[in-house]
Amino acid sequence: MEDNMIEVQSTQYIVVDVGIEQYGIDIKYVDNIVRMQKITRVPKAQNYFMGVINLRGEIVPVMSIRRKFGLEDDVFTDKTRIIILKPEQHEAIGIIVDNVKEVVSLESSNIEKIQSGRDEKSRYINAVGKNQDNLISLLNVNGVIDDVN
Amino acid sequence: MDVSQYLEIFIDETKEHLQDLSDQLMILETEPENADVINEIFRAAHSLKGMAGTMGYKRMQHLTHMMENVFSEVRNGNIKVTIHMVDILFQCLDALEAYLDEIVNNADEGTNDNEPIIKLLNGFLEGESENDSTSNKKAEKEENKPQGDNSSGYQVKFSEFEVNAIGEAFRKNMNVFSIRVFVDESCILKAARAFLVFKSLEELGEVIKSDPSVQDIEDEKFDLDFSVVFVTEATKEKVLNAINSVSEIRRVDMDAITELPKVEKHEDKREERHEEKEEIAKAENTSVKENTGKQTAPVKAVSGGKPVVNRSVRVDIEKLDVLMNLVSELIIAKNGLVSASNSDDREKANGFNEQIEYLERVTTNLHESVMKVRMMPIETVTQKFPKMVRDLSKKLDKKMKLTISGEDTELDRTVIDEIGDPLMHLLRNSADHGLESEEIRRERGKDPVGSIILNAYQDGNNVVIEVKDDGNGIDIEGVKNKAIEKGTITEEQAETMSDKEIIDLLFRPSFSTAKVVSDVSGRGVGLDVVKTKIEALGGDIEVKTKLAEGSCFIIRLPLTLAIIQALMVEIGDEKYAISLGSIQTIEDVLKTDIKYVQSKEVINLRGSVIPIIRLDEILDIEKSGEDEEENLTVVIIKKGEKQAGLVVDRLIGQQEIVIKSLGSYINNGNKLISGATILGNGDVALILDANTLV
Repeated sequence: MEDNMIEVQSTQYIVVDVGIEQYGIDIKYVDNIVRMQKITRVPKAQNYFMGVINLRGEIVPVMSIRRKFGLEDDVFTDKTRIIILKPEQHEAIGIIVDNVKEVVSLESSNIEKIQSGRDEKSRYINAVGKNQDNLISLLNVNGVIDDVN
Repeated sequence: MDVSQYLEIFIDETKEHLQDLSDQLMILETEPENADVINEIFRAAHSLKGMAGTMGYKRMQHLTHMMENVFSEVRNGNIKVTIHMVDILFQCLDALEAYLDEIVNNADEGTNDNEPIIKLLNGFLEGESENDSTSNKKAEKEENKPQGDNSSGYQVKFSEFEVNAIGEAFRKNMNVFSIRVFVDESCILKAARAFLVFKSLEELGEVIKSDPSVQDIEDEKFDLDFSVVFVTEATKEKVLNAINSVSEIRRVDMDAITELPKVEKHEDKREERHEEKEEIAKAENTSVKENTGKQTAPVKAVSGGKPVVNRSVRVDIEKLDVLMNLVSELIIAKNGLVSASNSDDREKANGFNEQIEYLERVTTNLHESVMKVRMMPIETVTQKFPKMVRDLSKKLDKKMKLTISGEDTELDRTVIDEIGDPLMHLLRNSADHGLESEEIRRERGKDPVGSIILNAYQDGNNVVIEVKDDGNGIDIEGVKNKAIEKGTITEEQAETMSDKEIIDLLFRPSFSTAKVVSDVSGRGVGLDVVKTKIEALGGDIEVKTKLAEGSCFIIRLPLTLAIIQALMVEIGDEKYAISLGSIQTIEDVLKTDIKYVQSKEVINLRGSVIPIIRLDEILDIEKSGEDEEENLTVVIIKKGEKQAGLVVDRLIGQQEIVIKSLGSYINNGNKLISGATILGNGDVALILDANTLV
């Protein structure tokens, strides 16, 4: 009983679609969500960088999660969004998602940590969250960014 | 009492005095009899002593006190300046600088007593026996004086010189006040309070006499009160307010002097007069400085750790006024736009254009002015070099002289802060590796005194700093052999390398050709660090050298870091900016004029062969279809004497752009892109770094 009392700790996640999967991004890393806009290509950059955008006068690099995860290239629709992440002690960085669905609160009992797997993709996922019937892959934001550095 | 609030002033002023001291010592070395210089040194030591005492830095105070004693004897002609003495004085200077460094970093002077130096200084004093008695007598006299004065109210005695000064003030219709200041009994650092009173008084006029003497006040040799005679244009109230604004002052008595006082015959009037003159000279100095607002911002401490004092720039008040004016104009321009948008359609277009032109003019001026505030003369860095070269000369036992020119060339503050170390390194390099020993120089028929020249000048959007020596030059064969020996290159590679490429090896990490690792240079952490630092500042470095004749290191730095004039070009459907500073010309080239040299495209432009760079290929830009045009638009860029032609599809025009960083996530290969900028329509355009393309 006592254990349960302490465990009611919940974290808010923004749920997004990338391809057929749903990903959750811890809301504390999210600075902003903007509509798709013109991305300026940067020659010779890493292939998963789409380029840079002008975010209120600041230059912010934009990364394609799909390219990073080895999925097929992004198809931009009017639902495509750029999520601006601002991790502590790092510069802001944008990631492209197909759609922003909702914000959910997940209690820690509904989050299951997963071992870092073998394939490329699972390095960027550190847990799976259960939201009613849906399974949400929780993005390891620092992992994604550290990898860039 | 907390003196930390004066720390910044103290550090600034100490730096100035130390610089002064260093300059004067350099002169003294060549002209040991120069009385002006001796006086100047005495004065600097005296001021330093006072300041250190006020701040409670006892060791520093002690050392400067000894210096002052020595110089007071020199001034009186009891001791002669010798080379040995100058050497020791330079040691004192180093010690003082060490104290200051400690203070900057830890707000404490450290624990080094510098006993050996003090002993040496004492040695000079003991060499002369009679001097002690005179200075003692003087001190005694001055210590006695305050008590005498206490009983008889504040009857101040005047010397002939002071009476003259008062007479002069009367003629100019200035007010002369006799002021007596009582410091609060609970005040701990009386001298600091007195110092502040003097400081605020000197802003309003001149202190022509103080009782006890300024020196005694600074040494805290006074009870709870002191008196000054003060000449000013300000009113009594103003002076009173100024003094009362200093805290822990209990009471101020103030009387106007309206009659010329009688001259008091003084035993050692001559000496007294001298000192007063000095005070006045000092006061004049400060007032002159305030008028011209001379910009002598502190040089950042070189040592590591976080300094306790923030970095600051002293800004000429005039520069700020200009900024203020421009900002008000900006507001007017904005209001103009507002009213233009409210007017009729027909007038609207006209009004808008007019206002936008106005706005453009204001922002350009504003930018220029802000840049000027950030600009500092390179002198702030170079002024410490003469002494450094002198020290090197002693250490290396080579004769050399340093000539500095163009030290008024201005650079951005951030660049100034960073450029000191690389320059120092290059100078050391020249002194250690470059210049030959005296014998070899004689053999080669050169002036036995080696010459190092530091020259700075502005060249377009760049500032160029050259460090040149007439020494041995770089031994290219030596470098080559060393590189092979170290395994940096193979022998086959060495065969095909040009001289320039071999010289570039020197800039690789851990490559030192010095046969003997010396204290001065040659630890192999040299030129590569210099190069990295300069490149981090957006500049580059190249070397010209001739064996047995000397070498020249040329540093090229951008004048400003934030805003540049750029040419906007279009390649495919992407827009790029190229800094105007690196563009030489723009040419229309017939496709048929392109020749091939070693299967690379070149053009022959007015006699010089210039390689052609296809930007679309380098930047991986997909071209839509074949272009049928017969002409190519080629932007000719230059870096030093090297040129290259960049093929672009279309020129958009010249524009002032704000440089923004791409951030650290994206690594763009070969650093082709130096940054990005935001265009008028909100789009992002990348800035091509012409330097990496040439």
